[in-house]
Formats: sequence, C-alpha cells, structure tokens
Amino acid sequence: MSQFSKIISLSFRDYSHEWRMSGCFVLALASVLAPMMILFGLKFGIVSSMITGLIENPGNREIRAVGSGRYEQAWFDEYAGRKEIAFIIPKTRSLAATIQLKSKSAGRIFSTELFATAENDPLLQTINVKPQGFYQVILSDSIANKLNIKKGDRLDGSLVRQFRGKRERVHIDLEVIDVAPASVIGRSVAFVSLDLLLATESFKDGRAVAELNWSGNASETDKRNYPSFRMYARSIVDVENLVNELEQEGINVKANLAEINTVQSIDRNLSIIFWIIACVGAVGFSFSLGASLWANVDRKRKDLSILRLVGFQGGKIILFPVLQSMYTGMLGWLLAVLIYLVAEQTINQLLAPSLEIDQIICYLLPQHFFWALGLTMFVASTAAILGGIRASRIEPSDGLRDI
Amino acid sequence: MPVVYSLKNVVKSRLVEGAGFRLSIPSIEINAQENVALVGHSGCGKSTLLDMLALALHPDSAEHFSLTPKEDESYSIDTLWQKKKQNVLAKIRKQHIGYVLQQGGLLPYLTVRENIELPRKLMDMPEDDSTRSIARVMGIHRQLDKLPGLLSAGERQRVAFTRALSHRPTILLADEPTASLDPITARKIMAVVMELVKGLKITMITASHDWAHVYKMDLRSLHQEAEVVENGNVYQSTFRD
Repeated sequence: MSQFSKIISLSFRDYSHEWRMSGCFVLALASVLAPMMILFGLKFGIVSSMITGLIENPGNREIRAVGSGRYEQAWFDEYAGRKEIAFIIPKTRSLAATIQLKSKSAGRIFSTELFATAENDPLLQTINVKPQGFYQVILSDSIANKLNIKKGDRLDGSLVRQFRGKRERVHIDLEVIDVAPASVIGRSVAFVSLDLLLATESFKDGRAVAELNWSGNASETDKRNYPSFRMYARSIVDVENLVNELEQEGINVKANLAEINTVQSIDRNLSIIFWIIACVGAVGFSFSLGASLWANVDRKRKDLSILRLVGFQGGKIILFPVLQSMYTGMLGWLLAVLIYLVAEQTINQLLAPSLEIDQIICYLLPQHFFWALGLTMFVASTAAILGGIRASRIEPSDGLRDI
Repeated sequence: MPVVYSLKNVVKSRLVEGAGFRLSIPSIEINAQENVALVGHSGCGKSTLLDMLALALHPDSAEHFSLTPKEDESYSIDTLWQKKKQNVLAKIRKQHIGYVLQQGGLLPYLTVRENIELPRKLMDMPEDDSTRSIARVMGIHRQLDKLPGLLSAGERQRVAFTRALSHRPTILLADEPTASLDPITARKIMAVVMELVKGLKITMITASHDWAHVYKMDLRSLHQEAEVVENGNVYQSTFRD
C-alpha cells in the first residue's frame, strides 16, 4: 500500500473518529451554503419567471399596423422567412372580419371578431390544435363564456350582407376545437383558418365562395392584397429594429417599445443586484469555509507531527487535511442540498394559493447544484492546500510535546 | 561496537518564555547496542536533544552530526538538514528509529493493533505474528482491538514502546517514557523494555530526570550542566559524558 492510499485511509479514519467535530464542520458549511442556495432558488424562481413572463408575453412582441395598407402574399412570405419574425399572418378589413355566433345554450347572438391563425401563433402557443379548413374555430374565453360553450361543442356562425339590394344571410356550422385561456386575449375573438377569414371577406364584398356554396360575383382574378397583418417578433430585443425597418418601408406601425424598454431595464437592474448579492455571498462563503478549514489544519498539527515522525513524507502529509476538507465539502454540500430541497418544497407549497398555475416561486436548475458543489470543493481544497503546505513545512518535532 | 551517533559542537537555540535557551553538545558518541540515558531536570533540553537525534528537529549549527544505523549505511545528518532533504530524513526515521513520547503519542483514531502496525505498514513489511509476539511480551495482547482512549496510562506507554519496536528499528529513543506512571508500573515496563532492547540488539537512548532510576538500570548517562552566558541573557545547557 502506497503512502498515498495510507493517507486516504488514515484521514478517513480520523474524520469518522472525530464525528462530532466533523459534524460541526459539515453543519457550519451547510448553514452558510443552504441560505445561499435558497436565495438563488428564489432569484431564479421569482425573478426569472417574472422576467421570462414579461419577455415571453406575446403582447410585448406584437407589431401592429396603424391604418390600412396593401400587402401582397409575397410581402408576407418574405417577412415569414426572416429569423427575427416569430409569426406573421394577414388581417382583413375590420368590418369584414366579424361573424355572428349563436349556440343552443345561449339565448343571444354575439357579434365576434375573427382572427386568422396558423401553426406557431404566439397567442395560441398553449393550444396544440389549430383550426383547419372552413369549419373549425378556437374561441376566446370571453366569447366562450357568453355563448356558454366548451371545447367540442358546435355552434352556428352567420354572416350578413347587402347584395344587389337585398339583405342576405349565410350560416356555417362550426366546431369549437378549443377555448383559449383568458390570459391570451380579453376580447370576444374567434380564431379561424385564413381560408375562412378570406371567405368571410369575399362574402361580405359580394363575391362567391364556391367551397361553401355561397353565391355572388365572380372571384377576383388579380393577386389578392391584404389591408393589414398580425406580426410578432421572435424576441423583445428584435421589436425596435423591426419597427424602424417597417417605418422606413413607409408602413406606420405601433409596438410596446416603452414597455419593452422597462422590462429590459428591470431585467438588467435585477440581474446586477442579484449578481452583487451572489458575489458578496460567494466571497463570504469562501472566507467562512476557508477560515474553518484553515483552523482545522492547525488543530491537526499534532497528529500530522506523529505521522511525520513515523516516516510519512511532507508532500503526502498535505493530503491529510486536504482530504478531510473534501469530505467536509462533499457532506456539507449534500446537507445544504437537502435543506434547500425541503425549503423549496415548503416555500412553493405555502405560496401556491397565491401563484398562477405552473408558476414556481423557488427553484434551481441541476447545473446550479453542481456549480455550488464545484465552488465548495474549490474553496475547501484551496484553503486546505494552503494550510496543508504550511503544516508540511512545520518540523516534525513541533507538535510532539503536546501529545 | 561501531559508533551509531557522532555529534560534535552541535547547537540548538530557542526562546523560552522570552528568555534565551541554548542547547550545546560539545562531543557525544553513542555506540551500537549501547543503552544511554540523558539525565537532567525538566526544561534542560533532554527532549530537544532527543528530537535532534530522532531527526525531527534541525540543529542551528553542527560541526559534525552523523548517523550510522548499520555498518554499511551512514548519513551526514547536518548536510541533509542543510540541503533540506526532509524526505530522506523521513525515510531514515521510518527505517531505523523508533520514538516513544512522554504521553505515548498514539493516534486516537486507530486501534492499538493499527497503531502498532503503522510503522510496519509504512515500510511495507509483511503481516506476521511479530506484532502479537511483542504485544504479548509487553502484556498488551488483550488490548489489541481497543482504541488508545480506553487504555490506562501504563498500557498506553506499553503500546507506545511496542509501536516503536514493531518495525525492528536499530535505534530506540524514549522521552521520559515512564514519567507519568507510578514507580512500580514504571519499573515493570522498563524492565521488559530493557530485555527486549537487549534481545533485539537495539541502541536505546532515553531521557530521564530520575538519577536513581538511571543508576538502577545501569545505563550510561549523559549528564547536563547549566550556565548562564551572554550577560545573563542566555541559559546554556550542555550535555557531556
């Protein structure tokens, strides 16, 4: 057995023999590390989810056209292909984009705004299905409540127009494939396919829609133009550039630039505050751990002197306190993780009634636990190595008389 | 008999509670298998000299300091200290010296057996019955699986002697090994140790402040003389034959 393996064995035997003292070192370490982990858990829980919520809110990424324009399909295709655009879809004239909805369970007919939707629509990111063809619809929570209707129900949609001096009404049987949560949009909106939105506009403009057997004038042969659009940037940091670019194109648009700047400012300032706390905490933690381990090396001088007297070499002796510090670091980290997990569960359960569904107030990612372990082991080994080097330079006779 | 230790004009100085203390050895030679006692009152430098002989404390100056544990193996200790060859000194200690401290110096986290076998394991010596044999002679064979904290002072000193002898050193150093024991126990232990030392052909150097004890054991004594030098600023202790 080499001196190295003998030192490993001896350091562990001593560590476990002095289990009360070792336990105190472990508790001391955990009592510093656990609050830091809880603080960071709260930082990542509260602040990150708040900031992420603000950043992810589609409303903050929306770029709205002001007034009416003439946008061809090619224009939409070009913008849809850009990486900073998350979603873009045409809008028709406001008056043409309304439908009357009636359900069997509600006594009234409600006039409802129509929004075209498709895959990747940020407003419907929590809903997996999207309306296909002419007969499917997703209702906003507001209109679903008014109609007293739920997912899977059917309802009657009707459109009215004045055509060749006569008032005409057509009906369409719609399937409610889902209901969007109230947080998505507060207004009465029906999300439909672009085909149905365009069919609605065609009907109101007096044109025929063959697919729905709606009679009228012949359809336009020219390329279709759209008066407006629904556009979302991929991130809030892309909004300002897109707004500037569109305005340079002569398109008057509006976006929540002031709110975005506020959100970004909050994000920056809170990050700075938490990094300051993190750095101060890490430095304090390092000094606290380093000092206790340094003191432990001093306390071990007597035992180290005996080991040197029986023939252990100075270089190997360094390992003795270093290994013991590693044991303390590892056990202290484990205890701190346990304390943190209990605190995390307690905090999240206590505050659950005042939180939104799926919102967590305190959590850490797996990599955060490993960073904590890495920092602990680095500080522990550095302090112990410095103390160990000092101990190895002490003459073997120095601690003997005290034994 | 060949000379094991040869020291000439070896000096070690230190401060004791603010006052200067100087240990001086003008000339000492200790032969192989000789049994020597360093005799003097407490604080006269016996332990300091033993630590230097154990290669655990470096002298401030030395005209000559050699150790010849075997006929074909000799070391210039003052040169090794000057060159800071700590690992070589550790190796010599490990192979040739057994050291018994006043309070035993046992590692509290190892059992009696493990304490005794530590020097043997460090030298990669094979496991055999020798530990048990010496333990039986020393009367501690029933305590081998206990921790030192459970032993009496006398038993701890027996264990310390057994550990110091377990790896068959050529030199045994003992720093007032029976000072904390009652006279009867002390006599019993030393009688057994002397017998073992004789049988194993070991050179033994022990520190003691008890002249009568040294006289009874028929040891060669290196006695201490004290004087105050340098205008009363330094207490100088000199060991001579």
